[in-house]
Amino acid sequence: MSLKEKIDKLKEGFKTKAPRDAQEIIHRSTEDLKNSGIMDHVVKVGDKAPDFTLKNTADQDVSLYTLLGDGPVVLTFYRGKW
Amino acid sequence: MVAVSPQLVKYNKAMKEEKNLFFEILSDPGNQIAERYGIKHKMPEDLIKIYRQFGLKVDEHNGDDSWTLPMPARLIIDQDGIIRYAEINPDYTERPEPEDTLTALRDITG
Repeated sequence: MSLKEKIDKLKEGFKTKAPRDAQEIIHRSTEDLKNSGIMDHVVKVGDKAPDFTLKNTADQDVSLYTLLGDGPVVLTFYRGKW
Repeated sequence: MVAVSPQLVKYNKAMKEEKNLFFEILSDPGNQIAERYGIKHKMPEDLIKIYRQFGLKVDEHNGDDSWTLPMPARLIIDQDGIIRYAEINPDYTERPEPEDTLTALRDITG
């Protein structure tokens, strides 16, 4: 199953279970974000990636440009698991 | 492969262990790095209320009450620091297929 198919299944479940008013607010928030102009200011292909140093799960500092010394990096931003 | 999340280290650690993840998850307090990538956004008040009702404690997990999040983003950065692939979507329910990212990575590494 593709990731999209898995997500579509989750979406279907949410649609049948979640209160209608909550779904409307969630949907509208996404639309507002789309229309906010935020996409005009995101990093783009060809841009230089800003460097950073952040803590990993062992409380150690990890820097992007140090990792790049070993090869290209797939960098993913994740919201969280609440 | 490295993931960045605004969650406190302890929550990233729990997620890494629970899901048996082999890659690093880095903690980005206050979404400061997400902001430099242009993907930080603040959740609107009515949405925060819904999240609270659902018991989604974004504030507790992030260690602040800013209720800011990154838009989900997947980037490939080459060894010169240049972004060669960028999938960023304001709709958090839409994510690129992992296979497409792998294809892009193969193209970049040759």
